[in-house]
Order: sequence, then C-alpha cells, then structure tokens
Amino acid sequence: MYTIGIDVGGTNTDGALLFGHDILAVVKVPTDHEDLVGSTRAALEQLLKSCPAGAEIELQLSTTLTTNTIVEGKGTPTAAVVIPGPGLNLDQCGLDLPFHVLSGYVDHRGRVIADIKADQAVDAALEAKRQGAEALAIVGKFSQRNPRLETAAAQAIRGAGLEFSYITLGHEIAARLGFPRRVVTAYLNSQVAAAQERFIRAVQELEEFRTIRILKADGGTMTLAQSRQRPIETILSGPAASVMAALALTRYTEHNVAVVDIGGTTTDLAVVVGGLPVYERDGAVIAGYPTAVPAVYSRSIGLGGDSEVHLTVEEGRASFTLGPKRAGKPACLGGAHVTPTDAISALRLAEVGNREQAVAALQAFASPHGLSWQEAAQGIVDAFVHQLCQAIHAVYDELEGRPVYTLAEFLEKPELMPQVIACLGTPAPAIMPAVGEKLGLPVEILPCSASANAIGSAAARPTTGITLHADTALGQMSIPEMGLFKEIERPALFDQRRARREALERLVEYARQSGLDEVPELDIVAEEAFNIVRGFRTVGRIFHIGAQIRPGARRIRVKEGT
Amino acid sequence: MAGVGLIFFPAFDWCITPDHPEREERLLYTRDQIQEEGILDLPQFREYRPRMAAEKEIQRAHVFVPSLRAHITESHLIAAGGAIAAADLVMGGKEERACALVRPPGHHAMRVVHGQRGFCLVNNEAVMVEHIRQKLGPEARIAIVDTDVHHGDGTQDIYYNDPNVLHISLHQDGRTLYPGTGFLSERGGPGAYGLTVNIPLPPGTGDEGILAVMESLVLPILKDFQPDLVINGAGQDNHFTDPLANMQVTAQGYARLTELLKPDIVVLEGGYAVEGALPYVNLGILLALAGLDYSHVIEPDLTRYNLRQNQAVTETIAYLIDSVGEQWAQRREADLEGIFGSGDFFQRNRMIYYDTAGITESQRSCIRLCSTCAGWERIETRSDRFREMTCAVLLPWNCCSKCRSEAEAEYEEAAFSRRFRKVALHDPQKDHFTELRK
Ligand SMILES: [Zn+2]
Ligand SMILES: [Zn+2]
Repeated sequence: MYTIGIDVGGTNTDGALLFGHDILAVVKVPTDHEDLVGSTRAALEQLLKSCPAGAEIELQLSTTLTTNTIVEGKGTPTAAVVIPGPGLNLDQCGLDLPFHVLSGYVDHRGRVIADIKADQAVDAALEAKRQGAEALAIVGKFSQRNPRLETAAAQAIRGAGLEFSYITLGHEIAARLGFPRRVVTAYLNSQVAAAQERFIRAVQELEEFRTIRILKADGGTMTLAQSRQRPIETILSGPAASVMAALALTRYTEHNVAVVDIGGTTTDLAVVVGGLPVYERDGAVIAGYPTAVPAVYSRSIGLGGDSEVHLTVEEGRASFTLGPKRAGKPACLGGAHVTPTDAISALRLAEVGNREQAVAALQAFASPHGLSWQEAAQGIVDAFVHQLCQAIHAVYDELEGRPVYTLAEFLEKPELMPQVIACLGTPAPAIMPAVGEKLGLPVEILPCSASANAIGSAAARPTTGITLHADTALGQMSIPEMGLFKEIERPALFDQRRARREALERLVEYARQSGLDEVPELDIVAEEAFNIVRGFRTVGRIFHIGAQIRPGARRIRVKEGT
Repeated sequence: MAGVGLIFFPAFDWCITPDHPEREERLLYTRDQIQEEGILDLPQFREYRPRMAAEKEIQRAHVFVPSLRAHITESHLIAAGGAIAAADLVMGGKEERACALVRPPGHHAMRVVHGQRGFCLVNNEAVMVEHIRQKLGPEARIAIVDTDVHHGDGTQDIYYNDPNVLHISLHQDGRTLYPGTGFLSERGGPGAYGLTVNIPLPPGTGDEGILAVMESLVLPILKDFQPDLVINGAGQDNHFTDPLANMQVTAQGYARLTELLKPDIVVLEGGYAVEGALPYVNLGILLALAGLDYSHVIEPDLTRYNLRQNQAVTETIAYLIDSVGEQWAQRREADLEGIFGSGDFFQRNRMIYYDTAGITESQRSCIRLCSTCAGWERIETRSDRFREMTCAVLLPWNCCSKCRSEAEAEYEEAAFSRRFRKVALHDPQKDHFTELRK
C-alpha cells in the first residue's frame, strides 16, 4: 500500500511518498496561499512519478486552511445563540464573538430546569441575520449532559424558515465540560465549514485515491466526511504533524521524549510519555480563542534560526538575548541582519550559506561593543542553548503542575521527565548537542527534518474517542460524540463494569462509523465513579468514562539516500 | 486585576464512609460547575496543585494521641498541604488571593487530637497559619474569620491564648447545633483575652442577617485589629438547602460576604448540600474573590423557598451586633483577675466529645499567668479510647525567658514521670516539636 502525506504549510508544501514503512520520495514546493489545493496538486504530481500507475494510494492531508481562515478572519460571518443559564456573567467571559442570549437552562446533572422560549430563539436568529450572520452556532451550558434545549432552539429556528449555511450545535462539537470553549468551538466550526466544504470538493477532483484522510490537531486523522461535520478539528495540524513525525522516526518508541522542532521563526516543543503524545488539558488555542478541540500539547517559543539578536553590555559583560521576533533572512543567506544561523555558519557548526558573509556580519555587529566576531558567535549560540533549556524546563514545570483530583493520581504520579530529546529542524544538529549536555540527556537528531510535517501526515493514524456519562439515579446516559443520549435500561444493575463495557463497545461502533476497518487497541483514559447519596441512602451512581483508540504513528524507516 | 490562585483537590477517591456527608461525591458538582463555567480560562484565575504537608507541619498545630501516624491518611496531608500551598501563593506574591477547595475540612480539630471530630482530623487552617508564621515571624498578625455554620471550636481551641491570632466565628447558635459551643462568654485565655470572638446566630439567619454582621461587626473589628492576613474558613453550610443546619443564606449572600471580607486566603470548611448549594456557593465565592460579577449565580431551587428573614431573627442579630461589638470595644478593660484568678495558673478541666470517632476525651489545661508573655500551657489528656495519660507542654510564640525555663523544666519532669505514657514539648519560636513515647 502506498501512502502519500502532504503538509500544506505557511511557506512550503511538503510531500512524502511511502510504501509500507519505507519512504520512497519527498518533495517541497512553495505554498500558494490563494490556492491550497493547487499547492497540494503540485506536490502530488511530483510524488506520483515515483509511484507505479494504477497503484492503490491513500492520501493524508494536513493543511493550514482552517487555521488561516480563522487567523485571517475570512470565514463565513457567524453568530452564536447561547443558553447560559445562571453562573458567570457572559460579558465577563471574554467571548470575542457576536452572541445572542436565550433564557432556559440545564443543570450540572443534565436536568432541564427551564425550557427555552421558541419565539425568543427565532428572534435571536433574526437579529443575527440582520447583523449579517450567515452561519450559526447554538450552544447551551451543560448541553453535553442534555442537548434538548440546543435541539429545540435549532428546530424553532429552522421551523420559522430561517436559513443558515451551517448550524453547529454545541453538544455535537465539544463533549468536555467548559461552556465558553464550547461556544467558541461551535462558532469557529460554523465559520470554517464553507471553506472546508469547498476544499473537500476540490480535493475529491484531484485523483482517484483509496482513501483521503485529513490530519487533526490531536495528531490523528479523520475521513473527509467527518471533516465536513467537524472542520474545526483540522486546526493546528502543522504542529501535530511534527510531533507525529517524531513518533514515527524516533528510535525511542517506548520512552519519555522531549520533541524539539527548531524552525526559522519559532521552536516548537512537544512531549511524549511512554511512547504516547501528551495532549492539551482543555483543548487547542487558536488566534487567542481557547477552544475545546483536542490537540497535541505543543508550546511555541519565539526562537529560531532567523531570530533577532539583541546584545547588551553591562559593566564590561556582554549578554545576548534572541527573539522573539524574526530578524529576516540570515546574513549568510543574503539577509541584512545577524541571526543565530550566522553564528552557526561562522563557527562551522553546520554548513549554511556563505560563511564569509556570516563572519563579516558578526564582525560589524560585535566590534562597536568591543567584541570579536568569535565571541559574538559563541555568545549567540550559548544564548540559544540557554533560552531553549529554559523553555524546556517551563514545559515540564507546567505539565508536572497539572492538577489532579484523586489521591491515586496524586500519589502515583507518572514520570513525565524526558529520557531523550528528539529534534527536528535545520539548526538542530548545531544547537542540540549543547542543549542535551546542559540537560544531561541524550539527543537524537531525526532524519528527513526538512520533510518532517509531510512524514508526520503520512504516519498519522485515525484517532477517535468518546466520553460516556451515566447517571443511574436519573437513568440517563450520554455519549455526546456519537449524538447518543438515552435512558439506561435497568439502571439498578448498571455498575462500573457495565459502564466500562458500554464505553468500549460504543467506541468500537464509533470507530467503524469513522471509517476504521480494523479496530486497534482501545484505552480507557479517564474513569470516575461516584455514589449519589441523598439522606444517608445511596440512590444511584454516576460514571464518567473516557475511552479512545490508542494514538500513535506508523513507524517509518528512512533508507540511505532518500 | 485581582489574581486568584485556586488549589482544588476534591479527593474523588476518599471518604469517611461511603454514605457519609464527607464522601467522594461532595465536590463532584462543584468541579463540574467550575469546569463548565470555564472560569479557569479567565485571566483572573490560575489553578495549582496542592502538596502534601510534612508531618512536622501538622505537628506545629497538633498533639496527636497516641501518634500522628495512627490517624492520618494521605487525604488529610493533601488537604493541609493544599492550604499551605494556597498561603505560599499569596505570601510569595504569585497571586493576590488564593482559595483552597480541599477536603476533608479541619475547623473542629483541636490542639489535642484523639480522633476525628465533626468530620475533621487536621486543622488545615491552623497548620497553614503556623506555616505562615514560620515564614513571616512571630509578630505577624493573623485574623481567621470562620463562616461555617458550625462553631469553629477546633481553631478557637488552638488560638485561644494567642495574642497575634484573632479568631472570629459566625455560626448557628450552639444551643441548636453541633458542637454546642461558641457563646459570647468564650473570649480567649489570659494572654489573649477578647481575641476569640463568637457570633452565635439564630436559626433562620439569611443573607440580610449575615451581611449585617459582616458589615457592622466583623469588618470594624478587623479594621481595629489590623491583621497582616485575613483568612476565611469558608464553610458553606449556612446555605438554605444544607441538610445539617437551619440557616437561609444563598450563594449571593456568600459571594457578597466574600466581597466584603476580601480575604487573602480562603479555605473550604463544611457544607453538605453537595448539589444544590456547593456548586453555586463555590462559584460565587471564586467570582467575588476575583472581583467578577456574581449576580447571575442563582440556585435552581431559590424560587421554591421563602427566604425572607423573620423579624425576631433580625432583632436578635441586631442585639448580637451590639453586644459583641461592645465586648470587643471593652476587651482591654476586662477584669482579668476576676476571670482567670490571681494565682500562678489558670486551670480548665474539659470533657471533649469526638462525634465522628465516638471518643470522649478528658483534658486538664493549666495556663501560666504571665505579665510578660501569653504564658506557657500544660495539657494533661486521656480518652476512653487512649486511656494512658499524655502530657503536652506548649510554649507560646514570643515566650519570655522565665516562661521558657519553667516550661522546659516542666517537660523534663513530665518526661521522667511515670504518670505519662507520652510527653510533648512544642516550641513554635524555635520551630521545635519534641515527642517522647514511653
Ligand atoms: Zn460546618
Ligand atoms: Zn512569660
């Protein structure tokens, strides 16, 4: 089976062709922002040359489409209709989007305390339309426990003949607790739906593929059909692809790995524990919007090969700081400013561009401060190493400080600290050995850095997960991801074992719906069980179970010469 | 912008017994509400992990019989450690205020501990206060305002004779509710007379009453005392739906109370209406701490109750405000000789009941009457569970040299005496806690 992975990035579009676990070819073409499908096509055409005619090919695509649509504000004009009930004043939520409030609410157990008023929903939608909204998001507090009010509002709006190009309901898009994030996620989902639809149509016209899958922020893939329903999940697939590449390429498959991807402008840090990627606790943040979109944990710092170099001299001591902005092209590559890449080039840590130009630029930069170019170059490299080490420490401090809510988790804290640093990016071989030395960790320089995101896209596997919430006192069970809200049969007999079994069976069903032919390993990733006691009597139990397909990447071998 | 650090540790896998009010479920709906509201994404809030308190940190506030290890569970260490972590956030300047939503609670745990009382084993606040004083030094002035519906008798006991800790407890009148203490006459020991302030509220007190007490009584007392830190023991059982008490306070009332009090550190105490009260009260308190609008925090049940405060209750509260206010104003004029005698020691004999553990303790305490310091204290204690006698000698913070040498001699003597199975010497100034088991 042939697999093509394509990552349409901000500057370049990378492609990789795989046969099984082996890389056959990689390509790089410039990205045309106005025509992402065109960029995809350009990369495809080159890769297909290395592929026998008529071969079965699966295509895995990572694009900046939804990310750019959001960042550039080019999505469909959208409004949110919200059902917040009592609680925090919505004006203080920092919701940077147009919203209309309905009365009615659901409580924390999922009981409808007050119904919505249909005419109020219609008025809100009319008002949204008047203000130019073409798409809607309808989101209620605790709607993942009971979606009735969201559904009723949608029905009222549709029943009144009001048409919107897309309507996202909160419970369909975000199963986790967190109303403001659910509002944002549903809102952005509606905003990017049309752009995703156009993209899908264009992609389908490209070639005949066995399957086409789209990369998600959590490093997994989904089908084109799923990406129609949940286009928002395709945001930030670039950083996710780089983590997947690290998982696919590292020799340390069962270890704790710090993943460092050094680019021109930024360095991205991610974390692997026991061979599995660490995820964001609450969801991805995009363009300042905190969302509920499951995402690979990734922290970006303003430090890279093209970073600005700042020099301060105090009491005869020179100190360098780098970034967070990009200076521009390095002097050794014809740019006007000194950058870390020039220091690397001048010190012969790597062969980059014209070394004489790098030395000249460093000299011009250093001499007014009474420094030699060698001192400046070493100072810059040291600063890079220092700043990167600090950022790595900050990442692990953050993860170690993540709250836990049970004694078991508190006492049996999993070991997160890395055993090895796996690195991607052109400056990595020059910089990372010193970082490893400083942190006392071995460093693995991963091959094929330049095509990492394409390799990551190709290596990604479908991911899917569900959250089961069962309340036997109310006799209700929900799996919002599957749109499943139902009564529990014989709730008195519904125990933890049954809850677990139900979750796993449903996950298999959901995985099949998601186009997975064979069901891989399943994991219960979160489990809570409570007795509901009223008046010194146990009247029921609450179970909360998160289950997912074990995430991971296809292992990839790099042959000599590719 | 007020930064609020939240230490949340609901101990979802710990209970006293599975159907006990202090069970796994207690903070479940609070967690759900806080997460669903998304307040931790607001720039005003940050969530931190608790830590485990060290045994020594617990010992600063307690003498355990027969030993700390005989009683303690990890959940207790994390609850106390959570309070300490909250204090460190504020003292270290990381956050302006901090809130420790931890369980189990602590305010019924007294200096001597034979077992659990009122669901409490370790006094989280006292452990935290002693940690703070080790950092800030002996002159630090700390005010504890306990707004749990039950009298904070444990905290009162620990600070009864401590001139730098003001303890104010608002609670439902002890004649009508556990633990049956907390009357106006309990005003502090000879070295700290007047600094224990009890405000026993009549059953049926609502927002109007509790807020009147805050505004007209608690705030003026605090202004007068000038504490370096204000700590709120935030029990939530004054709520109108609480199953264990008879008050009528709402989430709005609790939030407004918090807004008025402006505590530096909030530590959760009791509160057992786990579904109808806690999610809303905790949310209201957190919003108020951060200076955010809490006016939309309304319990679903609110409309089903008539929460108009009864006229007789209002009058009783007005009378209380006057009486307690007057006591406070005249605390320095009190006739200490008349109250504590003119001998060398002031002696108290008490029977203390441990409802949760079913233990009765008999205790005799002698406080040295000293004109220079608060005076050292000697406690002899035994219980029907641990019959052998324990003797604890407690030095006060700012202990004078005369009291120090007397107390040390006393400890030596007790250590050699056959009467005692266990002896303890507590020296907060040197942060030294000696225990000897024979
Ligand atoms: Zn209480
Ligand atoms: Zn003295």
